[in-house]
Amino acid sequence: MSELILNINHLSKSFGKNEVLKDIDFTVSQGEVISIIGASGSGKSTLLRCINLLETPTSGEILYHGVNILDRHVNAPKYRSHVGMVFQSFNLFNNMTVLKNCMIGQTTVLGKNKAEAKENAMRYLENVGMAPYVNAKPKQLSGGQKQRVAIARAMAMDPEILLFDEPTSALDPEMVGEVLQVMKKLVDEGMTMLVVTHEMAFAKEVSSRVVYMNDGVICEEGTPEDIFDNPKREETKNFLARFRNTTQEV
Amino acid sequence: MNFLALIGASDNDILGKLGSDIAKLWRDAAPQYLRGARDTLILAVVATAVGCLIGLFCGILQTLTYSKNDLFIKKAIIWVVKIIVRVYVEVFRGTPMILQAVFIYFGLPYLTANSLRFDVITAAYVVVSINTGAYMAETVRGGILSIDRGQTEGAMAIGMNHFQEMVKVVLPQTLRNIIPQIGNNLIINVKDTSVMFIIGYAELFAAHKAYVGATYLYFPSALVTMVIYLIMTVVCSLLLRLWEHLMDGPENFNLATTDSLALTSGMNNYPRGRRKRRAAR
Repeated sequence: MSELILNINHLSKSFGKNEVLKDIDFTVSQGEVISIIGASGSGKSTLLRCINLLETPTSGEILYHGVNILDRHVNAPKYRSHVGMVFQSFNLFNNMTVLKNCMIGQTTVLGKNKAEAKENAMRYLENVGMAPYVNAKPKQLSGGQKQRVAIARAMAMDPEILLFDEPTSALDPEMVGEVLQVMKKLVDEGMTMLVVTHEMAFAKEVSSRVVYMNDGVICEEGTPEDIFDNPKREETKNFLARFRNTTQEV
Repeated sequence: MNFLALIGASDNDILGKLGSDIAKLWRDAAPQYLRGARDTLILAVVATAVGCLIGLFCGILQTLTYSKNDLFIKKAIIWVVKIIVRVYVEVFRGTPMILQAVFIYFGLPYLTANSLRFDVITAAYVVVSINTGAYMAETVRGGILSIDRGQTEGAMAIGMNHFQEMVKVVLPQTLRNIIPQIGNNLIINVKDTSVMFIIGYAELFAAHKAYVGATYLYFPSALVTMVIYLIMTVVCSLLLRLWEHLMDGPENFNLATTDSLALTSGMNNYPRGRRKRRAAR
Protein backbone atom coordinates (compact mmCIF):
# COMPACT_ATOMS: atom_id res chain seq x y z
CA MET A 1 0.00 0.00 0.00
CA SER A 2 1.42 3.36 -1.00
CA GLU A 3 1.50 6.34 1.29
CA LEU A 4 -1.75 7.92 2.39
CA ILE A 5 -1.94 11.61 1.40
CA LEU A 6 -5.46 12.58 2.39
CA ASN A 7 -7.70 10.99 4.95
CA ILE A 8 -11.14 12.57 5.23
CA ASN A 9 -13.31 11.66 8.21
CA HIS A 10 -16.97 12.48 8.83
CA LEU A 11 -16.85 15.55 6.58
CA SER A 12 -20.07 17.57 6.41
CA LYS A 13 -20.88 20.83 4.74
CA SER A 14 -24.09 22.82 4.89
CA PHE A 15 -25.05 26.01 3.11
CA GLY A 16 -27.64 27.37 5.52
CA LYS A 17 -30.18 24.61 5.98
CA ASN A 18 -29.10 22.86 2.82
CA GLU A 19 -26.87 19.93 3.73
CA VAL A 20 -24.64 19.37 0.72
CA LEU A 21 -22.15 16.86 2.14
CA LYS A 22 -23.23 14.32 4.73
CA ASP A 23 -20.64 12.48 6.79
CA ILE A 24 -18.14 11.74 4.02
CA ASP A 25 -15.28 9.30 4.65
CA PHE A 26 -12.69 9.20 1.94
CA THR A 27 -8.99 8.55 1.40
CA VAL A 28 -6.46 9.38 -1.28
CA SER A 29 -3.14 7.53 -1.57
CA GLN A 30 -0.04 8.37 -3.53
CA GLY A 31 -0.39 7.61 -7.23
CA GLU A 32 -4.14 7.05 -7.21
CA VAL A 33 -6.35 8.47 -9.93
CA ILE A 34 -9.83 8.86 -8.52
CA SER A 35 -12.82 9.91 -10.58
CA ILE A 36 -15.81 11.35 -8.77
CA ILE A 37 -18.99 11.00 -10.77
CA GLY A 38 -22.61 11.82 -9.98
CA ALA A 39 -25.49 14.05 -10.93
CA SER A 40 -25.35 17.83 -10.68
CA GLY A 41 -25.96 18.95 -7.13
CA SER A 42 -24.76 15.69 -5.61
CA GLY A 43 -21.92 17.47 -3.82
CA LYS A 44 -18.96 16.40 -5.99
CA SER A 45 -17.61 19.89 -6.55
CA THR A 46 -18.26 20.91 -2.95
CA LEU A 47 -16.22 17.92 -1.77
CA LEU A 48 -13.35 18.97 -4.02
CA ARG A 49 -13.60 22.59 -2.87
CA CYS A 50 -13.61 21.50 0.76
CA ILE A 51 -10.45 19.49 0.17
CA ASN A 52 -8.77 22.66 -1.11
CA LEU A 53 -10.35 24.76 1.67
CA LEU A 54 -12.11 27.00 -0.83
CA GLU A 55 -15.15 26.06 1.26
CA THR A 56 -14.90 25.67 5.01
CA PRO A 57 -16.48 22.35 6.03
CA THR A 58 -19.14 22.52 8.72
CA SER A 59 -17.74 19.57 10.63
CA GLY A 60 -15.37 16.63 10.28
CA GLU A 61 -11.67 16.52 9.62
CA ILE A 62 -9.34 16.44 6.65
CA LEU A 63 -6.00 14.85 7.51
CA TYR A 64 -3.14 15.74 5.19
CA HIS A 65 -0.26 13.44 6.07
CA GLY A 66 -1.90 13.04 9.45
CA VAL A 67 -2.35 16.76 10.17
CA ASN A 68 -5.87 18.11 10.35
CA ILE A 69 -5.89 21.09 7.99
CA LEU A 70 -9.13 22.41 9.48
CA ASP A 71 -7.22 23.20 12.64
CA ARG A 72 -6.98 26.94 13.29
CA HIS A 73 -3.17 26.82 13.52
CA VAL A 74 -2.69 25.32 10.06
CA ASN A 75 -1.48 27.75 7.42
CA ALA A 76 -4.15 27.30 4.73
CA PRO A 77 -2.28 29.04 1.87
CA LYS A 78 0.79 26.90 2.52
CA TYR A 79 -1.34 23.74 2.44
CA ARG A 80 -3.01 24.85 -0.80
CA SER A 81 0.37 25.28 -2.45
CA HIS A 82 0.82 21.48 -2.14
CA VAL A 83 -2.59 20.77 -3.63
CA GLY A 84 -3.11 21.87 -7.23
CA MET A 85 -6.54 22.75 -8.55
CA VAL A 86 -7.90 23.02 -12.07
CA PHE A 87 -11.24 24.81 -12.36
CA GLN A 88 -14.18 24.42 -14.68
CA SER A 89 -13.90 28.06 -15.71
CA PHE A 90 -10.06 27.99 -15.93
CA ASN A 91 -9.55 31.02 -13.65
CA LEU A 92 -6.36 32.12 -15.37
CA PHE A 93 -5.14 35.51 -14.21
CA ASN A 94 -6.45 37.91 -16.84
CA ASN A 95 -3.78 40.52 -16.18
CA MET A 96 -0.87 38.21 -16.97
CA THR A 97 0.52 36.42 -20.00
CA VAL A 98 0.49 32.64 -20.24
CA LEU A 99 4.09 32.44 -19.04
CA LYS A 100 3.51 34.83 -16.14
CA ASN A 101 0.46 32.81 -15.09
CA CYS A 102 2.69 29.78 -14.71
CA MET A 103 5.48 31.69 -12.96
CA ILE A 104 3.65 33.85 -10.45
CA GLY A 105 2.93 31.11 -7.93
CA GLN A 106 6.48 29.86 -8.02
CA THR A 107 7.98 33.29 -7.46
CA THR A 108 5.54 34.65 -4.87
CA VAL A 109 4.58 31.50 -2.97
CA LEU A 110 7.52 29.14 -3.38
CA GLY A 111 10.11 31.92 -3.43
CA LYS A 112 11.92 30.66 -6.52
CA ASN A 113 13.96 33.08 -8.58
CA LYS A 114 12.71 34.19 -11.98
CA ALA A 115 15.06 32.14 -14.14
CA GLU A 116 14.26 28.95 -12.28
CA ALA A 117 10.52 29.66 -12.36
CA LYS A 118 10.63 30.39 -16.07
CA GLU A 119 12.51 27.19 -16.85
CA ASN A 120 10.05 25.16 -14.80
CA ALA A 121 7.03 26.93 -16.35
CA MET A 122 8.35 26.35 -19.86
CA ARG A 123 8.81 22.66 -19.16
CA TYR A 124 5.16 22.26 -18.17
CA LEU A 125 3.88 24.53 -20.93
CA GLU A 126 5.75 22.36 -23.41
CA ASN A 127 4.17 19.30 -21.83
CA VAL A 128 0.68 20.65 -22.48
CA GLY A 129 1.58 21.95 -25.93
CA MET A 130 1.20 25.61 -25.01
CA ALA A 131 4.84 26.69 -25.22
CA PRO A 132 4.23 28.66 -28.45
CA TYR A 133 1.69 30.83 -26.64
CA VAL A 134 3.82 32.14 -23.79
CA ASN A 135 3.18 35.78 -24.71
CA ALA A 136 -0.58 35.48 -25.16
CA LYS A 137 -3.07 36.86 -22.66
CA PRO A 138 -5.86 34.50 -21.54
CA LYS A 139 -8.49 36.39 -23.54
CA GLN A 140 -6.62 35.56 -26.72
CA LEU A 141 -6.87 31.79 -26.20
CA SER A 142 -9.56 29.22 -26.87
CA GLY A 143 -11.18 27.35 -23.98
CA GLY A 144 -9.15 24.21 -24.48
CA GLN A 145 -5.94 26.19 -24.63
CA LYS A 146 -6.85 28.08 -21.45
CA GLN A 147 -7.50 24.84 -19.62
CA ARG A 148 -4.18 23.40 -20.73
CA VAL A 149 -2.42 26.52 -19.44
CA ALA A 150 -4.35 26.14 -16.17
CA ILE A 151 -3.06 22.57 -15.87
CA ALA A 152 0.49 23.76 -16.53
CA ARG A 153 0.04 26.50 -13.93
CA ALA A 154 -1.08 23.98 -11.32
CA MET A 155 1.72 21.52 -12.22
CA ALA A 156 4.37 24.23 -12.07
CA MET A 157 3.76 24.42 -8.32
CA ASP A 158 4.95 20.82 -8.06
CA PRO A 159 1.82 19.71 -6.22
CA GLU A 160 1.49 16.40 -4.44
CA ILE A 161 -2.04 15.95 -5.66
CA LEU A 162 -4.01 17.61 -8.43
CA LEU A 163 -7.75 18.33 -8.12
CA PHE A 164 -9.84 18.72 -11.28
CA ASP A 165 -13.26 20.34 -10.95
CA GLU A 166 -15.11 19.38 -14.14
CA PRO A 167 -12.19 20.46 -16.30
CA THR A 168 -13.96 19.87 -19.62
CA SER A 169 -17.51 20.95 -18.82
CA ALA A 170 -17.11 24.51 -20.07
CA LEU A 171 -15.45 23.49 -23.31
CA ASP A 172 -16.76 23.17 -26.83
CA PRO A 173 -16.90 19.49 -27.83
CA GLU A 174 -13.96 19.69 -30.22
CA MET A 175 -11.71 20.98 -27.43
CA VAL A 176 -12.49 18.31 -24.86
CA GLY A 177 -10.10 15.86 -26.49
CA GLU A 178 -7.01 18.05 -26.17
CA VAL A 179 -7.57 18.56 -22.44
CA LEU A 180 -8.26 14.88 -21.75
CA GLN A 181 -5.13 14.00 -23.71
CA VAL A 182 -3.06 16.22 -21.44
CA MET A 183 -4.68 14.70 -18.36
CA LYS A 184 -3.97 11.19 -19.61
CA LYS A 185 -0.34 12.16 -19.94
CA LEU A 186 -0.31 13.21 -16.29
CA VAL A 187 -1.82 9.89 -15.27
CA ASP A 188 0.93 8.07 -17.17
CA GLU A 189 3.53 10.14 -15.31
CA GLY A 190 2.11 8.84 -12.03
CA MET A 191 0.45 12.05 -10.81
CA THR A 192 -2.03 11.64 -7.95
CA MET A 193 -5.31 13.00 -9.27
CA LEU A 194 -8.84 13.59 -8.06
CA VAL A 195 -11.15 14.28 -10.99
CA VAL A 196 -14.76 15.41 -10.81
CA THR A 197 -16.03 14.67 -14.28
CA HIS A 198 -18.91 13.83 -16.57
CA GLU A 199 -16.56 12.17 -19.09
CA MET A 200 -17.47 8.56 -18.32
CA ALA A 201 -15.26 7.03 -21.00
CA PHE A 202 -12.29 8.93 -19.63
CA ALA A 203 -13.13 7.96 -16.04
CA LYS A 204 -13.40 4.32 -17.04
CA GLU A 205 -10.15 4.31 -18.96
CA VAL A 206 -7.75 6.09 -16.62
CA SER A 207 -9.11 5.81 -13.06
CA SER A 208 -7.73 3.50 -10.45
CA ARG A 209 -10.88 4.09 -8.41
CA VAL A 210 -14.30 5.54 -9.20
CA VAL A 211 -16.53 7.21 -6.62
CA TYR A 212 -20.22 7.66 -7.30
CA MET A 213 -21.80 10.44 -5.25
CA ASN A 214 -25.52 10.90 -4.80
CA ASP A 215 -27.33 13.42 -2.64
CA GLY A 216 -24.33 14.38 -0.51
CA VAL A 217 -23.09 10.90 0.31
CA ILE A 218 -20.65 8.50 -1.32
CA CYS A 219 -23.12 5.98 -2.68
CA GLU A 220 -20.69 3.49 -4.15
CA GLU A 221 -16.99 3.27 -4.84
CA GLY A 222 -14.72 0.75 -6.47
CA THR A 223 -12.62 -0.01 -9.52
CA PRO A 224 -13.89 1.29 -12.87
CA GLU A 225 -14.98 -2.25 -13.72
CA ASP A 226 -16.96 -2.49 -10.46
CA ILE A 227 -18.79 0.76 -11.01
CA PHE A 228 -19.32 0.82 -14.77
CA ASP A 229 -19.79 -2.89 -15.49
CA ASN A 230 -21.23 -4.28 -12.25
CA PRO A 231 -22.79 -1.49 -10.24
CA LYS A 232 -24.28 -2.88 -7.02
CA ARG A 233 -26.53 -0.05 -5.93
CA GLU A 234 -29.80 0.82 -7.61
CA GLU A 235 -28.94 4.58 -7.70
CA THR A 236 -25.66 3.90 -9.51
CA LYS A 237 -27.41 1.75 -12.10
CA ASN A 238 -30.02 4.43 -12.72
CA PHE A 239 -27.42 7.17 -13.04
CA LEU A 240 -25.30 5.23 -15.50
CA ALA A 241 -28.33 4.14 -17.50
CA ARG A 242 -29.45 7.72 -17.83
CA PHE A 243 -25.97 8.62 -18.93
CA ARG A 244 -25.81 5.98 -21.64
CA ASN A 245 -29.11 7.18 -23.05
CA THR A 246 -28.15 10.82 -23.23
CA THR A 247 -24.55 10.80 -24.39
CA GLN A 248 -22.84 9.25 -27.33
CA GLU A 249 -20.03 6.80 -26.89
CA VAL A 250 -16.69 8.55 -27.05
CA MET B 1 -36.05 96.67 -38.50
CA ASN B 2 -36.41 92.96 -38.07
CA PHE B 3 -35.13 90.83 -35.26
CA LEU B 4 -32.42 89.01 -37.27
CA ALA B 5 -30.95 92.25 -38.48
CA LEU B 6 -30.84 93.48 -34.92
CA ILE B 7 -28.91 90.42 -33.82
CA GLY B 8 -26.65 90.48 -36.87
CA ALA B 9 -25.89 94.14 -36.59
CA SER B 10 -25.13 94.16 -32.93
CA ASP B 11 -23.29 90.80 -33.15
CA ASN B 12 -20.24 92.32 -34.77
CA ASP B 13 -20.13 95.08 -32.24
CA ILE B 14 -20.47 92.67 -29.32
CA LEU B 15 -17.82 90.29 -30.64
CA GLY B 16 -15.53 93.19 -31.33
CA LYS B 17 -15.98 94.51 -27.82
CA LEU B 18 -15.46 91.08 -26.34
CA GLY B 19 -12.27 90.67 -28.36
CA SER B 20 -10.82 93.94 -27.21
CA ASP B 21 -11.85 93.26 -23.60
CA ILE B 22 -10.12 89.88 -23.65
CA ALA B 23 -7.06 91.38 -25.27
CA LYS B 24 -6.90 94.01 -22.52
CA LEU B 25 -7.42 91.41 -19.85
CA TRP B 26 -4.66 89.22 -21.25
CA ARG B 27 -2.25 92.15 -21.48
CA ASP B 28 -2.98 93.11 -17.88
CA ALA B 29 -3.23 89.80 -16.11
CA ALA B 30 -2.06 86.85 -18.21
CA PRO B 31 0.65 85.85 -15.67
CA GLN B 32 -1.91 85.76 -12.83
CA TYR B 33 -4.28 83.55 -14.82
CA LEU B 34 -1.50 81.24 -15.94
CA ARG B 35 -0.08 80.99 -12.44
CA GLY B 36 -3.59 80.25 -11.18
CA ALA B 37 -4.03 77.56 -13.83
CA ARG B 38 -0.70 76.01 -12.87
CA ASP B 39 -1.59 75.95 -9.16
CA THR B 40 -5.03 74.52 -9.93
CA LEU B 41 -3.52 71.75 -12.00
CA ILE B 42 -0.82 70.86 -9.48
CA LEU B 43 -3.35 70.81 -6.64
CA ALA B 44 -5.77 68.67 -8.65
CA VAL B 45 -3.14 66.16 -9.80
CA VAL B 46 -1.41 65.81 -6.44
CA ALA B 47 -4.67 65.62 -4.48
CA THR B 48 -6.12 63.06 -6.90
CA ALA B 49 -2.98 60.92 -6.61
CA VAL B 50 -2.98 61.11 -2.81
CA GLY B 51 -6.74 60.54 -2.82
CA CYS B 52 -6.26 57.43 -4.93
CA LEU B 53 -3.77 56.06 -2.42
CA ILE B 54 -6.15 56.80 0.46
CA GLY B 55 -8.99 55.24 -1.54
CA LEU B 56 -6.95 52.17 -2.41
CA PHE B 57 -6.05 51.68 1.22
CA CYS B 58 -9.63 52.18 2.47
CA GLY B 59 -11.07 50.08 -0.34
CA ILE B 60 -8.80 47.18 0.61
CA LEU B 61 -9.71 47.55 4.28
CA GLN B 62 -13.39 47.43 3.41
CA THR B 63 -13.02 44.15 1.52
CA LEU B 64 -11.11 42.38 4.30
CA THR B 65 -12.75 39.11 5.24
CA TYR B 66 -12.44 36.71 8.12
CA SER B 67 -13.48 33.11 8.48
CA LYS B 68 -15.26 31.70 11.47
CA ASN B 69 -12.05 29.95 12.48
CA ASP B 70 -10.25 33.25 13.09
CA LEU B 71 -9.56 34.51 16.58
CA PHE B 72 -12.08 36.85 18.16
CA ILE B 73 -9.57 39.68 18.43
CA LYS B 74 -8.92 39.58 14.68
CA LYS B 75 -12.63 39.69 13.91
CA ALA B 76 -13.10 42.61 16.33
CA ILE B 77 -10.27 44.61 14.80
CA ILE B 78 -11.56 44.08 11.27
CA TRP B 79 -15.04 45.11 12.38
CA VAL B 80 -13.83 48.33 14.05
CA VAL B 81 -11.59 49.25 11.11
CA LYS B 82 -14.49 48.82 8.69
CA ILE B 83 -16.71 51.10 10.79
CA ILE B 84 -14.04 53.80 10.92
CA VAL B 85 -13.63 53.66 7.15
CA ARG B 86 -17.39 53.86 6.62
CA VAL B 87 -17.74 56.89 8.87
CA TYR B 88 -14.87 58.62 7.05
CA VAL B 89 -16.45 57.91 3.67
CA GLU B 90 -19.92 59.04 4.71
CA VAL B 91 -18.71 62.28 6.34
CA PHE B 92 -16.44 63.44 3.56
CA ARG B 93 -18.73 62.35 0.75
CA GLY B 94 -21.75 63.78 2.48
CA THR B 95 -20.60 67.36 3.17
CA PRO B 96 -19.61 70.11 0.70
CA MET B 97 -15.88 70.45 0.12
CA ILE B 98 -16.12 74.20 0.62
CA LEU B 99 -17.29 73.65 4.21
CA GLN B 100 -14.65 70.97 4.77
CA ALA B 101 -12.07 73.58 3.77
CA VAL B 102 -13.57 76.01 6.26
CA PHE B 103 -13.52 73.33 8.94
CA ILE B 104 -9.87 72.37 8.37
CA TYR B 105 -8.54 75.91 7.89
CA PHE B 106 -10.63 77.90 10.37
CA GLY B 107 -12.26 75.20 12.51
CA LEU B 108 -9.17 73.30 13.65
CA PRO B 109 -7.38 76.39 15.05
CA TYR B 110 -10.67 77.49 16.63
CA LEU B 111 -11.24 74.14 18.32
CA THR B 112 -7.65 73.60 19.43
CA ALA B 113 -6.96 77.17 20.54
CA ASN B 114 -4.54 77.68 17.65
CA SER B 115 -2.33 74.73 18.57
CA LEU B 116 -3.28 72.90 15.37
CA ARG B 117 -3.33 75.06 12.27
CA PHE B 118 -2.41 74.56 8.64
CA ASP B 119 -1.18 77.20 6.25
CA VAL B 120 -3.41 77.84 3.22
CA ILE B 121 -1.52 75.62 0.81
CA THR B 122 -1.32 72.64 3.15
CA ALA B 123 -4.97 73.01 4.11
CA ALA B 124 -6.01 73.02 0.44
CA TYR B 125 -3.97 69.89 -0.32
CA VAL B 126 -5.29 68.11 2.77
CA VAL B 127 -8.95 68.91 2.08
CA VAL B 128 -8.96 67.96 -1.58
CA SER B 129 -6.95 64.76 -0.93
CA ILE B 130 -9.18 63.59 1.89
CA ASN B 131 -12.31 64.43 -0.06
CA THR B 132 -11.09 62.54 -3.14
CA GLY B 133 -10.03 59.66 -0.90
CA ALA B 134 -13.59 59.23 0.33
CA TYR B 135 -14.93 58.94 -3.21
CA MET B 136 -12.06 56.71 -4.33
CA ALA B 137 -12.64 54.36 -1.37
CA GLU B 138 -16.04 53.52 -2.80
CA THR B 139 -14.69 53.35 -6.35
CA VAL B 140 -11.96 50.91 -5.31
CA ARG B 141 -14.43 48.83 -3.31
CA GLY B 142 -16.67 48.60 -6.37
CA GLY B 143 -13.66 47.79 -8.54
CA ILE B 144 -12.59 44.96 -6.26
CA LEU B 145 -16.13 43.56 -6.12
CA SER B 146 -16.33 43.62 -9.91
CA ILE B 147 -13.39 41.21 -10.29
CA ASP B 148 -14.65 37.70 -10.91
CA ARG B 149 -14.48 35.45 -7.85
CA GLY B 150 -12.64 32.93 -10.02
CA GLN B 151 -9.60 35.20 -10.09
CA THR B 152 -9.24 35.10 -6.30
CA GLU B 153 -9.96 31.39 -6.20
CA GLY B 154 -7.30 30.79 -8.83
CA ALA B 155 -4.86 32.76 -6.69
CA MET B 156 -5.89 30.95 -3.50
CA ALA B 157 -5.56 27.58 -5.21
CA ILE B 158 -1.87 28.13 -5.94
CA GLY B 159 -1.30 29.06 -2.32
CA MET B 160 -1.31 32.86 -2.31
CA ASN B 161 -2.38 34.60 0.89
CA HIS B 162 -4.88 37.46 0.94
CA PHE B 163 -2.20 40.13 0.55
CA GLN B 164 -0.49 38.41 -2.40
CA GLU B 165 -3.85 37.78 -4.07
CA MET B 166 -4.68 41.47 -3.81
CA VAL B 167 -1.33 42.84 -4.95
CA LYS B 168 -0.61 40.41 -7.78
CA VAL B 169 -4.03 39.55 -9.15
CA VAL B 170 -6.98 41.63 -7.98
CA LEU B 171 -5.62 45.17 -7.70
CA PRO B 172 -3.91 45.31 -11.10
CA GLN B 173 -7.23 44.36 -12.69
CA THR B 174 -9.14 46.72 -10.41
CA LEU B 175 -6.81 49.58 -11.27
CA ARG B 176 -7.39 49.03 -14.97
CA ASN B 177 -11.15 49.03 -14.46
CA ILE B 178 -11.28 52.17 -12.32
CA ILE B 179 -9.11 54.39 -14.54
CA PRO B 180 -12.26 56.02 -15.99
CA GLN B 181 -13.34 56.83 -12.43
CA ILE B 182 -9.91 58.19 -11.54
CA GLY B 183 -10.28 60.39 -14.62
CA ASN B 184 -13.66 61.56 -13.38
CA ASN B 185 -12.19 62.49 -10.04
CA LEU B 186 -9.24 64.28 -11.58
CA ILE B 187 -11.49 66.37 -13.79
CA ILE B 188 -13.88 67.10 -10.96
CA ASN B 189 -10.90 68.17 -8.87
CA VAL B 190 -9.57 70.48 -11.58
CA LYS B 191 -12.90 72.31 -11.48
CA ASP B 192 -13.87 71.96 -7.83
CA THR B 193 -10.59 73.18 -6.42
CA SER B 194 -12.11 76.55 -7.32
CA VAL B 195 -13.90 76.46 -3.96
CA MET B 196 -10.49 76.77 -2.26
CA PHE B 197 -10.74 80.55 -2.84
CA ILE B 198 -12.75 80.47 0.41
CA ILE B 199 -9.56 79.95 2.39
CA GLY B 200 -7.55 82.15 0.05
CA TYR B 201 -5.72 79.53 -2.02
CA ALA B 202 -4.57 81.33 -5.16
CA GLU B 203 -5.77 79.11 -7.98
CA LEU B 204 -7.37 79.95 -11.33
CA PHE B 205 -10.76 80.97 -9.95
CA ALA B 206 -9.07 83.19 -7.38
CA ALA B 207 -7.20 84.89 -10.24
CA HIS B 208 -10.54 85.50 -11.97
CA LYS B 209 -12.07 86.94 -8.79
CA ALA B 210 -9.10 89.19 -8.16
CA TYR B 211 -9.18 90.54 -11.70
CA VAL B 212 -12.92 91.26 -11.86
CA GLY B 213 -12.73 92.90 -8.46
CA ALA B 214 -10.34 95.43 -9.97
CA THR B 215 -11.82 95.98 -13.43
CA TYR B 216 -15.48 94.91 -13.63
CA LEU B 217 -14.78 92.94 -16.84
CA TYR B 218 -16.81 90.17 -15.30
CA PHE B 219 -18.02 88.20 -18.31
CA PRO B 220 -14.83 88.35 -20.45
CA SER B 221 -12.83 87.14 -17.48
CA ALA B 222 -15.31 84.33 -16.80
CA LEU B 223 -15.08 83.28 -20.44
CA VAL B 224 -11.28 83.21 -20.40
CA THR B 225 -11.32 81.27 -17.12
CA MET B 226 -13.79 78.78 -18.54
CA VAL B 227 -11.69 78.18 -21.64
CA ILE B 228 -8.58 77.63 -19.53
CA TYR B 229 -10.49 75.12 -17.38
CA LEU B 230 -11.71 73.34 -20.50
CA ILE B 231 -8.21 73.10 -21.95
CA MET B 232 -6.91 71.61 -18.70
CA THR B 233 -9.70 69.04 -18.42
CA VAL B 234 -9.46 67.96 -22.06
CA VAL B 235 -5.70 67.47 -21.77
CA CYS B 236 -6.24 65.44 -18.58
CA SER B 237 -8.80 63.25 -20.22
CA LEU B 238 -6.60 62.62 -23.27
CA LEU B 239 -3.68 61.64 -21.05
CA LEU B 240 -5.90 59.23 -19.12
CA ARG B 241 -7.07 57.60 -22.33
CA LEU B 242 -3.44 57.14 -23.29
CA TRP B 243 -2.74 55.53 -19.91
CA GLU B 244 -5.63 53.11 -20.37
CA HIS B 245 -4.34 52.21 -23.80
CA LEU B 246 -0.86 51.54 -22.45
CA MET B 247 -2.21 49.34 -19.66
CA ASP B 248 -4.15 47.18 -22.11
CA GLY B 249 -0.96 46.15 -23.87
CA PRO B 250 -0.74 44.88 -27.43
CA GLU B 251 -3.79 43.18 -28.91
CA ASN B 252 -1.81 40.62 -30.84
CA PHE B 253 0.97 38.30 -29.85
CA ASN B 254 3.63 36.44 -31.78
CA LEU B 255 3.28 32.75 -32.24
CA ALA B 256 6.49 30.79 -32.61
CA THR B 257 4.99 27.63 -34.09
CA THR B 258 1.54 26.16 -34.36
CA ASP B 259 -0.25 24.32 -31.57
CA SER B 260 0.07 20.60 -32.08
CA LEU B 261 -2.82 19.54 -29.84
CA ALA B 262 -5.62 21.85 -30.95
CA LEU B 263 -7.75 21.11 -33.97
CA THR B 264 -7.67 24.75 -34.94
CA SER B 265 -4.43 26.42 -35.81
CA GLY B 266 -4.67 28.92 -32.97
CA MET B 267 -5.43 32.59 -32.95
CA ASN B 268 -2.14 34.20 -33.72
CA ASN B 269 -3.97 37.07 -35.34
CA TYR B 270 -6.98 38.23 -33.42
CA PRO B 271 -8.12 41.57 -34.79
CA ARG B 272 -10.46 43.39 -32.48
CA GLY B 273 -9.95 47.14 -32.84
CA ARG B 274 -11.50 49.22 -35.59
CA ARG B 275 -8.05 50.12 -36.83
CA LYS B 276 -7.13 46.48 -37.38
CA ARG B 277 -10.30 45.69 -39.25
CA ARG B 278 -9.78 48.58 -41.59
CA ALA B 279 -6.24 47.43 -42.26
CA ALA B 280 -7.48 43.97 -43.12
CA ARG B 281 -9.89 45.29 -45.70
